[in-house]
Amino acid sequence: MAELSDIQNAFIRAEIEEYLERPEEIQRNIEVFAKARPILQDISAALIDGEHHEVDRLTRQCLDDGIEALEIMDDGLIAGMGIVGIKFRENIIFVPEVLACARAMKAGMAHIEPILSASGIDPIGIVVMGTVKGDLHDIGKNLCIMMLRGSGFVVHDMGVDTSEDQFIEAVEEYGAPLMGMSALLTTTMPNMGKIIEAFIDADLRDDVKIMVGGAPVTQTFADDMGADGYGGDALACVELAKRLLTETDEE
Amino acid sequence: MSDVKEMKPRERVLAALNRQPVDRTPTCNPTSLATVELMDLVDAPFPQANRDPELMARLAATGHTELGFDTIMPVFSIIQESSAVGCKIQWEQKDNWPTVKMREPIWESLEDIRVPTDYLLHPDAQCVIEAIKILKRDYGDEVAIIGKTMGPWSLAYHCMGVEPFLLLSLDDPDQTKRILDKLKQITIEFGNAQIEAGADALTLPDHATGDLVSGEYYDRFLRDLHIEFVEKIPIPLILHICGRTVDRMEYIAQTGMSAFHYDSKNKPQESIDITGDRVSLVGNINNPETLFSKGPEAVRDEVINNLEAGIQLIGPECAIPLQTSIENLTVIPETVKEWHKN
Repeated sequence: MAELSDIQNAFIRAEIEEYLERPEEIQRNIEVFAKARPILQDISAALIDGEHHEVDRLTRQCLDDGIEALEIMDDGLIAGMGIVGIKFRENIIFVPEVLACARAMKAGMAHIEPILSASGIDPIGIVVMGTVKGDLHDIGKNLCIMMLRGSGFVVHDMGVDTSEDQFIEAVEEYGAPLMGMSALLTTTMPNMGKIIEAFIDADLRDDVKIMVGGAPVTQTFADDMGADGYGGDALACVELAKRLLTETDEE
Repeated sequence: MSDVKEMKPRERVLAALNRQPVDRTPTCNPTSLATVELMDLVDAPFPQANRDPELMARLAATGHTELGFDTIMPVFSIIQESSAVGCKIQWEQKDNWPTVKMREPIWESLEDIRVPTDYLLHPDAQCVIEAIKILKRDYGDEVAIIGKTMGPWSLAYHCMGVEPFLLLSLDDPDQTKRILDKLKQITIEFGNAQIEAGADALTLPDHATGDLVSGEYYDRFLRDLHIEFVEKIPIPLILHICGRTVDRMEYIAQTGMSAFHYDSKNKPQESIDITGDRVSLVGNINNPETLFSKGPEAVRDEVINNLEAGIQLIGPECAIPLQTSIENLTVIPETVKEWHKN
């Protein structure tokens, strides 16, 4: 079992010591960072600090040094985003800071993605995400997308005001086993149920797991609508997506 | 029972906003009481009721005439002045609120900001002003007429987009402060135009919510501006911020705002323990889970919970869902009256 002192980067050690409280999360992160190369720990630290120029520079340097793109993504970018998600969930950081971290993630992924695509490496999952018809609010949905991408998912963002037909077409086109819907308004929440009905009518409901979320949405509402799961925040969305994907694999 | 003589609704609301004695706790929704049922009842549907002053006033009045609240609030949405300064609006249908198309921002930085000199003459600003005049004429002696003027933080979301603005606040706090300082003029001018039209109090939504930014952000970017609004807008102001706000209620209590309209994500007792008698609290009946999804008994429980905590004005936490039943809304003033009899 690795120990905190096995992590070379002092910033990462301090982040774990200061902000992580759940024993299983502390140990999991110690294991992740202790095995990561020092320069990948530096990428994580820069990402957590929202330093996109630094993430960009270090990612290029890693690739130049011959480190595999997948390793940079897993042990540098995704590992860093894991800490960001926990700090956001615990209200240690807020949306502006998460946006800065996501921008840093994007700076790194700009170099990684083309290599992974060319090498044909499968993502951990494909998700279609959108805000439902009649609703133009997207910050919550966008945070979920950032965290999903930061965890290795490929996400197709349908944007806002998304109709049932657009959701259905996207799920079919991308072969997505997962779909996420968001609503901020109490007036548009019921559209989630209508979209789920449309999947039933199209005989596609068994082909896709459907997640729902948004400020007024609750677990009870999600259950009533017939969704497969509800996420209360962006980190919960990632955990839910992973769980639903496992269920899909087992079915 | 109170030993204060029976008050008219307007008198009661203004007394509560100033934390003076009242005959009973007033009922108030500083955001919106419009529902589809009420639209049908008075033939004043959305989206027209957001753009036609006669329809706006007619629908707003039902908050008092049909639901029995002590206030009338004609501004059902948060987009009127944003439309007037040039934001694109999706006006929607009867069963949905209009929304600013925030993915199509009109300004990117401080240098871009050009507030039209005649925006108060724009039909969507005039609609509010004219509706308040109608309501003042018809209900002015009896019922408190509440207007609404958006704060600069919310206006920045509308005009610059939520994500670009929040990222800018981190990258360039000085520019962010200067942007807010420029946008505050809209808040003051639109507010004062509504006062001239007859508004008794103004809701000032400024969505620096705990769901998006920290309490420290509120202190750094908004507390002083909100103090300035209290100085420059000469009627009671009701600050409205959705979501978790307990971590910034201490700062809010320092602004001199008359009231704070608070969300059900904050417990009544915990909230009033922070604010004390420095700012009245308005709220905080849950919208999606209670008013929208449950029955009158659940609404009654939440009203009593607020009354027992000493909350100064009782009402829903935010603009009520348009599909809320009239029965769930009338139970709010009924419960308040019953509670005061006991």
